[in-house]
Amino acid sequence: MTNPPRSRSARFSEWLDQQSSTLFITPAVLLILIFSIFPLVASLIIAFSRFRLRAGSYQVRWVGFRNFEKQFFGSEQFHFLGTFKGMSLFGWVVAIAVGIALIYWLYRYCRRQFWWLGFIGRIISALMFFGLALLFCATLLSGHQFGTLGVTLFYVFAGCSTQFAIGLGLALLCAQPIHGRTFFRVIFFIPLMITPIGIGYAFRMLADTSKGPFSPLWQWFGLGDFSWSTDPWAARVFIVIGDSWQWIPFVFIILLAAIENIPKDHQEAAQVDGASGWQIFREITWPQLLPVAATVMLIRLIEAFKLVDLPNIMTAGGPGIATESMSLHSYFAWRSLDLGQSAAIAYLLLFVTVVLCVSFFNYVVIGRLRNNPT
Amino acid sequence: MPNLQQRSILNRLFEAPAIGKMAPGTALFVYGLLLVWSLVVLFPLYWVLITSVKSAVDVNSGPVYLPWIDFQPSLHAWRELLVIDYEDTLRSYINSIIIALLSTLLCIIVGSMAAYALARISYKPKFGNILIFVLAMIAGCYTVWKYGVDWKISIAVAVAIWFFLVKSIGRYFTRSVGNGDILFWMISQRILPPIVTVVPIYMMFQNLRMLDTHLALILTYTVVNLPIVIWLMYDFMNSIPIELEESAQLDGASRFRTFWEIVLPLAKPGLAATTLLILILAWNEYILAVFLSTSKAQTIPILVSAMNAGERGILWWSMCVVIVIMIIPVVFMAILLQRFISKGVLLGAVKG
Amino acid sequence: MRLNKNPLTALIGATALAASAASTPLHAAEFDGIEINILTRPGPVIAQRLVDRGEEFTEMTGAKIRVNEVPFAELFQKILTDWATGTNSIDVGVFASGWAVELADGDLIEDLTPYVEADEKLQFDDIAPFFREFNQKIGGKTKLITIDGDFQMLYYRRDIFDEMGLKPPRNWAEYMEAAKATHGKDLNGDGEADYGSCIFKKRNAQSYFAIMSVAAAFSQTQGTGQGFFFDTETMKPLINNEAWIEALNVYKATGEFGPPDELNQDIGDTRALVQSGRCALAIDWGDIGPLSIDESGAAIKDKMGATPMPGTSRVLDRETGKLVDCDAERCPHAIDGINISPFAAFGGWSGAINKKADDDVKKAAYAFLSYMNQPEQSNVDVTMGWTGYNPYRNSQLDNPDLWIEAGFSPEFADNYLGAIKDSLNNPNMASDLRIPGTAQYQGVVLDRELARFLADEITAAEAVANIEEGWEEITEDFGRDSQKSMYKASLGITN
Repeated sequence: MTNPPRSRSARFSEWLDQQSSTLFITPAVLLILIFSIFPLVASLIIAFSRFRLRAGSYQVRWVGFRNFEKQFFGSEQFHFLGTFKGMSLFGWVVAIAVGIALIYWLYRYCRRQFWWLGFIGRIISALMFFGLALLFCATLLSGHQFGTLGVTLFYVFAGCSTQFAIGLGLALLCAQPIHGRTFFRVIFFIPLMITPIGIGYAFRMLADTSKGPFSPLWQWFGLGDFSWSTDPWAARVFIVIGDSWQWIPFVFIILLAAIENIPKDHQEAAQVDGASGWQIFREITWPQLLPVAATVMLIRLIEAFKLVDLPNIMTAGGPGIATESMSLHSYFAWRSLDLGQSAAIAYLLLFVTVVLCVSFFNYVVIGRLRNNPT
Repeated sequence: MPNLQQRSILNRLFEAPAIGKMAPGTALFVYGLLLVWSLVVLFPLYWVLITSVKSAVDVNSGPVYLPWIDFQPSLHAWRELLVIDYEDTLRSYINSIIIALLSTLLCIIVGSMAAYALARISYKPKFGNILIFVLAMIAGCYTVWKYGVDWKISIAVAVAIWFFLVKSIGRYFTRSVGNGDILFWMISQRILPPIVTVVPIYMMFQNLRMLDTHLALILTYTVVNLPIVIWLMYDFMNSIPIELEESAQLDGASRFRTFWEIVLPLAKPGLAATTLLILILAWNEYILAVFLSTSKAQTIPILVSAMNAGERGILWWSMCVVIVIMIIPVVFMAILLQRFISKGVLLGAVKG
Repeated sequence: MRLNKNPLTALIGATALAASAASTPLHAAEFDGIEINILTRPGPVIAQRLVDRGEEFTEMTGAKIRVNEVPFAELFQKILTDWATGTNSIDVGVFASGWAVELADGDLIEDLTPYVEADEKLQFDDIAPFFREFNQKIGGKTKLITIDGDFQMLYYRRDIFDEMGLKPPRNWAEYMEAAKATHGKDLNGDGEADYGSCIFKKRNAQSYFAIMSVAAAFSQTQGTGQGFFFDTETMKPLINNEAWIEALNVYKATGEFGPPDELNQDIGDTRALVQSGRCALAIDWGDIGPLSIDESGAAIKDKMGATPMPGTSRVLDRETGKLVDCDAERCPHAIDGINISPFAAFGGWSGAINKKADDDVKKAAYAFLSYMNQPEQSNVDVTMGWTGYNPYRNSQLDNPDLWIEAGFSPEFADNYLGAIKDSLNNPNMASDLRIPGTAQYQGVVLDRELARFLADEITAAEAVANIEEGWEEITEDFGRDSQKSMYKASLGITN
């Protein structure tokens, strides 16, 4: 500020500088308030009402918990939760075992350290896990069909673990002293760039047993008359394969960066000492990799709950409702203009996602980080 | 002993001749696996590419694999999309480019500003103030919903009341939230499935007469991707040595200038990586585009799904053309941004 | 800020003015400078012909036609939200005529009666009665312009049937027999085993039209006005009964002689199979006829036969919900004791005009729809398979020359048009559901339960019970009385 007589613009810029701390963060806060928080609240209102479009406007009628009730107890129960027709003995055994394990887990928490907020959090998580366990016992383990909630969880867990296993394996391979690492890195990155719809259609072509590229192979196996899309589990597995194909690169590229960042000297020293590859991985690489791995999985977990394009395109939720994820369930409801139900399902999805992600973060990630201080 | 000789062969195959080198057996294994995975990645792409030059008969009558050898490639689908119907293709394409680029730009600017602020400036918003804000907004929404007050008036009144209350009783609040909480709040927005928020967003844009405009999609994509930018950029900002900024500030540079001239250039690798990721996400987005665009702002992923022509089956050939032309600019951007992205770039962010 | 803004807006305004001045053409045709935004489903089918004819129309009148396409499953709700919320980015929607009822209920579509009355070129009376009086009208007023006439028929491979000495099936038992006899045979000479029956069964697609086509003959006997979805007195769904259970079982049983992934096949997939000559029997709209003379249908050229949908000699007794044998009183329209009820699935693609569009745009939009519908254009379009347009005018049905000229063999032209006329002239033709919430009744509840039944998740009895429950919920939601009066009006019952 070389001008002693302060011009208007100089005063303005000084004022601007004073306010800079507010100005830096305001746009982000405003955008999030308008486009995330407001819709979140509005969506909650819709979830509790019946919503109809009329000429020139819409009608909102308050119906209380009816939209949610329908999902849990009413006509949509089979769709959201699954079909209940009594539980098998095996189901009971597993459910009770899970219950006991959860109670022990809570008990151990109370004995070791106790903080009321932590305890409440753990109660919520435990109830949720128990509920989900009960759901799986009553449906899957008792031979009945489960609904979109179960399907979503299957996608999340099967998808994330496949992606993590393969992504980690590839990262470890690429971290070896090989030629053409950049080449492989670029190649492996490509699937991430393709639009999920494109992947859905591409995999539908690949998986076709009569016209797809592998059809001679299918025929050779005597499966020419088999169709993956008519078998619930085969269809679900194919969707997980498509999802994994797309997201393995993401896990791979970040884990590779993490591995390359680990100082080489420890490994080399261990190699000199004659440690096996597995030992080196377990004792040296893995502990250093853990924080990154946990975060990557958290990101994947969050995204996996939103899976909608692939099942929509590959099977449109069929056969029956076997491949319908909760996002898709909500999307279908929206498409038929049943907005109240759509919002209710979306909220249930949000609830499940938040509880599971926060649980994962609090009990797995933070716990591991504490055990392996790096 | 015969055993010894056997072992020595095994040794030679599987034990590294020197540190940092691979034994031939291991190398074979490693390269083998890498090649297998390359095939897994490339085969679907190859299939898409050759399907784009197949005729309907080639696609429907069973698999054919090699152009010129077991089928005659033709550019009919390419011609149809890029020459005959180029208007539609071009429109979606340009829409997509505009929307993806602008939303990425906006997202990066807003996001890195917020990330920088959270990394450098200490915020202590009072807990009570936030609570009042939430209550004021709820009251505002309630009046709109229950008594049909114009939403603009009601929001303005709510903000005014909040402002007044903060100025008057704000100082009595003692508990405040910190930067970490704000960061968590922002990042946690990513957990929201788009399906939760999209209906109100739809109604909001409809109210503003902004449905089916580029701006609506740009703003929505910006907000959806903002948490990622903040998440990734926060750690880059943190890893930049603070001394440079301090000396700049001692020289009298304003915070904006410091940010623009010192911080951003230093954060270039991180910016490049984040930009690429956001660009890919915005470019490929489908669900929100379906909701918010009808005709004028239709993006190219919708064109992909539009190739599913119902009664005539899926026009695989045309669809594959669209998929291929969708990949090209992303690869181009990746190459363009590649040189800024050094290894370990994404890492710093994720470690936090 | 205010200081800044004004010059900017002025600048934008000036540019816009300059631009619009520059783009005004020198010659002035009737609808110069008007742009009509049409929304329909994607692909060459339906949409492409609108584009082609749109270009001709632009040359004639100066109005620019823009055809926008969204995936089929999103089409209706897009149009409804666009018009209901006043976004109005769409001037004309081209969609299933049945959907228009909900739009008309919200007073969103323009009444075209005055336009039609003033339009001579349209040749209104030439449109087949079912489409003219039933499909285009809502509450006695013409609100839609048909560009495609839709109902489902049964197609069979005439060459194979002749060779094997089979007759075109008239009921489902005969159908299953024929499918069984032909399944696994090589039908197109490529050395591979082919399929006896191809009926699309994919979820979230159009499979629910096929099941209604099957069910119609079992439950509707007294003519179009009887309806087969709801009881006209109580608005109770006529679903939870033996007719629908039988229809579901028949529909599922055909899968035994179908392609392995039939459950994931939409109409387009089965149609592609038919076209490559791999199906002995198939259910489809009128498209197969013209498609068989298309280049892509070389494998079935002159090999197809068409006949109305199979019927049944056992029909629903609405009192008891049981299937009973046909007699003269119960099945007045039966032929040889077999009750058939051709189902006007979907009702055909029709154009409706947004009531809130500008008057000039409305006028231009009507002119364009009329142009599409006029015999001069449509009599050509319906003979081309790829357009997706099926005949709906008397002049098209009574005029085999039109079809022979397009490439039909004389026998097939007779056979094809005969099947259409048999269906259209059948007084027991079944109308598609045309009340508010149709998309939910059919596209959500019926479609979902059907898919679950086909996937062996539930039994037929459970499926019909679930559908009934789901439909009752929707009816309650929209209001039983208003739904009832709408349903009655849609069947032409006036009281």
